[in-house]
Amino acid sequence: MTGLVIEALTVAFGRFTALDGVSLAVDPGEVRAVIGPNGAGKTTLLDVISGITKPVSGRVMLGDRIDLTTRSEAEIARAGVRRKFQKPSVFPALTVRENLEIGCGPAVPAGARPARIASVLGEIGLGPRADIMAGRLSHGEKQWLEIGMVLAAEPALLLLDEPVAGLSDAETAQTAALIRALRRPDRAILVIEHDMNFVEAVADRVTVLHEGRTLYEGSLRGARSDARVIEVFLGR
Amino acid sequence: MSGAMQTVLAPPAGPARRAVRDPLVAGLVGLCLAVAVGLLVARPAPYLVNALGQLAAFAILAVSLDLVWGYLGILSLGHGLFFAIGGYVCAMHLLSHGVAVTGVLPDFVQFMGWKSLPAYWAGLDHPAYALVLALALAGLVAFLFGLASFRSRVNGVYFSIISQALVYVAMLLMYRNDTGLGGNNGMTGFPLLFGWPMGSPGVATGLAVAALVALAAVLAGTRLLVGSAVGRRMLACRDDETRLRTLGYSTTRLKLGIWCLSAMIAALAGILYVPQVGIINPRVLAPDLSIEIAVWVAIGGLGRLGGAVIGAVLVNGLKFWLSAAMPEAWPFILSGLVLVVVLALPNGLLDLVALRPRPTWLRSSR
Amino acid sequence: MPALRALLVLVCLALVPAPAAAASLDRAGFAAGLCDDAAAQVRAAEGLIQSAGELPGDDLAFAAGLLGALAERRLACPADGALLLDRPGASEGHDALTGLARATPDARVPVLGLRQRAAMETARGVTALLTGPDPAARAAGLAAAERRIATVPAAVLDRARDAESDAGLKERITGLAQAAALSSPDPVRRRAAIAAVAAHPSGAAKARLAALKGDPAYAADPAFRAALDAGLATVSRAVAVGDGLAVVYNGLSFASILFMAAAGLAIIFGLMGVINLAQGEFIMLGAYATYGVQEAFRRLAPGLLDLYLVAAIPVAFCAVALVGIVVEALILRHLYRRPLMSLLATWAVSLFLVNLVRVTVGTQNLQFVMPAYVSGGVPLYADFVVTWNRLFAIGFAAATLVLTLLILRRTPLGLDIRAVTQNRDMAACLGLPTRRVDRLAFGLGSGIAGLAGVALCPIYSVNPGMGSGFIVDSFMVVVLGGVGSLLGTLVAALGIGGANVLIEPVSGAVAAKVIVLVGIILFLQRRPEGLFAVRRRR
Repeated sequence: MTGLVIEALTVAFGRFTALDGVSLAVDPGEVRAVIGPNGAGKTTLLDVISGITKPVSGRVMLGDRIDLTTRSEAEIARAGVRRKFQKPSVFPALTVRENLEIGCGPAVPAGARPARIASVLGEIGLGPRADIMAGRLSHGEKQWLEIGMVLAAEPALLLLDEPVAGLSDAETAQTAALIRALRRPDRAILVIEHDMNFVEAVADRVTVLHEGRTLYEGSLRGARSDARVIEVFLGR
Repeated sequence: MSGAMQTVLAPPAGPARRAVRDPLVAGLVGLCLAVAVGLLVARPAPYLVNALGQLAAFAILAVSLDLVWGYLGILSLGHGLFFAIGGYVCAMHLLSHGVAVTGVLPDFVQFMGWKSLPAYWAGLDHPAYALVLALALAGLVAFLFGLASFRSRVNGVYFSIISQALVYVAMLLMYRNDTGLGGNNGMTGFPLLFGWPMGSPGVATGLAVAALVALAAVLAGTRLLVGSAVGRRMLACRDDETRLRTLGYSTTRLKLGIWCLSAMIAALAGILYVPQVGIINPRVLAPDLSIEIAVWVAIGGLGRLGGAVIGAVLVNGLKFWLSAAMPEAWPFILSGLVLVVVLALPNGLLDLVALRPRPTWLRSSR
Repeated sequence: MPALRALLVLVCLALVPAPAAAASLDRAGFAAGLCDDAAAQVRAAEGLIQSAGELPGDDLAFAAGLLGALAERRLACPADGALLLDRPGASEGHDALTGLARATPDARVPVLGLRQRAAMETARGVTALLTGPDPAARAAGLAAAERRIATVPAAVLDRARDAESDAGLKERITGLAQAAALSSPDPVRRRAAIAAVAAHPSGAAKARLAALKGDPAYAADPAFRAALDAGLATVSRAVAVGDGLAVVYNGLSFASILFMAAAGLAIIFGLMGVINLAQGEFIMLGAYATYGVQEAFRRLAPGLLDLYLVAAIPVAFCAVALVGIVVEALILRHLYRRPLMSLLATWAVSLFLVNLVRVTVGTQNLQFVMPAYVSGGVPLYADFVVTWNRLFAIGFAAATLVLTLLILRRTPLGLDIRAVTQNRDMAACLGLPTRRVDRLAFGLGSGIAGLAGVALCPIYSVNPGMGSGFIVDSFMVVVLGGVGSLLGTLVAALGIGGANVLIEPVSGAVAAKVIVLVGIILFLQRRPEGLFAVRRRR
């Protein structure tokens, strides 16, 4: 059982405080959506978890034993954390298949890779495009490829930063289905999104961030009727 | 919104699938071997033999830089340092060998008033030791510098600047006359190579052939490397290092390994170059020369091993020819060539020939 | 004839001016002494020397006249008084005391024996020193007195020094007085002399005091030893402070040049991510523009030649800024977002500029006229001299810093530059003409480099290849100081300039550069973004 526990996380850039004592807990098997207005600190939160940014104070515990704030990005990834970036980050000079092979990570032995890649290709629906250079994919295909890359290692913690940004409605629905299918009892999923329909389709609970602090935590329905959330974010 | 975004992003031009073979490299390897054989059989003029050998050495140097720049995105403006390490150790071997055989001390030792070669020259008359020392030293310097830089995430132009500073400082150090390495005059007057007199046509041909064969080997080897899984990881690291890191790979280790390999290849180029020109001095450590190596690669085609060779041969061939005919004009021609290539042919001259045109998005902002 | 003698005495008394409380020479006695035997002559001379410090000027002149006459055998000694002859062997002369003409029927002409000669020469030297009409005569007198300096009292040298107008001679007299005092047999006087030397510290003073350590009095006389040790300690401390000040000063001037060379680089790099490898050549162009202004002044307004350096400031700025704008418009504009290719392009530009200057003007060092306001200096403390040329560079850099800050903080262009530096895309969305801002900022950065060229004309040699000496150091400043931060550039320039100047005398220039480079690399390990880079959100 893993799961993610964030304790009193504070991140500052110079004089600007991006996160101010944020605490969060995601259970294994849960899909948590983190929403909030721009500048609330959502991407910063993911940056800290994946090791790109170091906090001023606070801890990020993966499972019971590993404090992610003390590890490098590669170590965090090897511990089972995978992140899908806001801007589709695939390797344009490599083919889809090669991208997925790298996505498997160093832990997966070479012999097991082809099977893993084949299964992921099926899940994301890019089988026919497997030998095309990733740089030639459409925007939606790149998003899915990146999801495939982060899935290939069967991560314990999956971080998705705006996975449906720039996708059509049909693609959004496809992506929602894909993510719902990713649920596993030993996997925690954290999603940042602005599209409330998508959030409603995938998330079990939502956390609302505002100006670096947690504004609300609970069900989406509760968030939609919470006065503060409405004022700050959702609107009337 | 999403619909609008989709129509804006039209698929770019360029190859859709990965090429398995690289005909340019294969062709160049074949060409090198053919020319080597030709040199042995036809016995052309010594001037031409010597020129071909030097061009081959420069081509090896260009390939070493293309390996880290084109495939890893690390622009080193200090590769002359590793070239010089190879060259200086080779010179030390040749002079030690000469002393061992003839018993006559080199000029610069006599100028300093010393009675024998400095202590740290010991053993350098053995060619195997000299070769190993040159490569190991280049690798060590590269390792230390790379470790300090990559670990602290010094990238991009910062790295380029610091590599310039490194070679500049090395040049200042070598200009001192008390290092036992010839000072500002350098070392010259190499008498023998493996027992044979240096000036003889047989030795010159042998050196040129060795350089060409080495170039062929380096090309083949690096082609295998960049085509392997390691090569794919290099491209991934070049295009999105953070993405690669967050997938669990230690990019520092990858960069360090390839960086040291590149340094050793550059040192090999130096080893092959110095006997053919007959001299080494601190001018080879001039920061401008290290930038010129990048110019050869950029002109020929960044990220194409064959392009690096073409660029090196073309620019240096032009320099050999024009330095004799109109020496005043050469710097203007070179700067003009660089500007033309950088502005109009972003992927080097290979764009002109339309030999596998590469779309610019295959290079992230470099 | 007693009446005549009495009249003589009265006349003497009347003729001799009586200064309020000062001593005066017994002229008759002096003359009588010179006319007497050898011992009396020596007594007269020594007496004169001892009292010369307090005697009025005409007494000294009187004595000088007599001594000169004695030496040239023009002094005749009748039964009473003394006669000055016009030439040796003349039959008539003037009374030494009254000046009236007298015949010399049987006057004896004393001859200077060897025993008296030394004393006479010293006496003559003393009078010449005190009353000589020009510095040459006084210098000759000093030389003569120097041979027996131990017999010359301090008062004489002090008086000569105080009255001396010629600077060089005055210094010599001072030195001699000091040396005499230091080796005087009177211990009180010696200790006073030590304190006097310590009051004006310098390297030479320190050496002079240190030499006294070998003096026997050092071991024998505890008061002397204490005084000498205290004096040496004071002087050593002062000299160390002076040397320290000199190091700081040199470091400041080097840092000033570095700052001006790097400030433009930092602005351009922060704004466009372009490392301008032609920055050194822009500095060179600024120096050459200064030369052009000098030559223009020489041809058109030679009387105002000294002002060329000031006039060159706007000229160099505008000329080099123009070159920068052209480079940006023709070349860099197309290399937007390709920093490594921009680097190669600017290198090509630098190669072009160096060779263009080499071919058109030549490779020789340019000769600059040093205007008065950048020549020489003023000694401030111990051996530390505040030289004007370095002060010019420091002042210039300070002015450049202030002006650049003003431009960046107070002008619309500056605001645009800062906006585009921090978030180019957003600035473009807000309607800022980012391309124009790039162009103007590149011009600004180049212009500042041109100013650096002006500032270093009085200090460094100017030739086509001079840029390469600054470019690596400027890079280091930018890398250390942090991207786009002017304050970072300033601090880094001070740090690197200071470090270079501190290490250089200890280990040499090369070691200084190596140590600074290694230091920077190690520093970047802890803070890869440099000293003052703004930590940006992704």
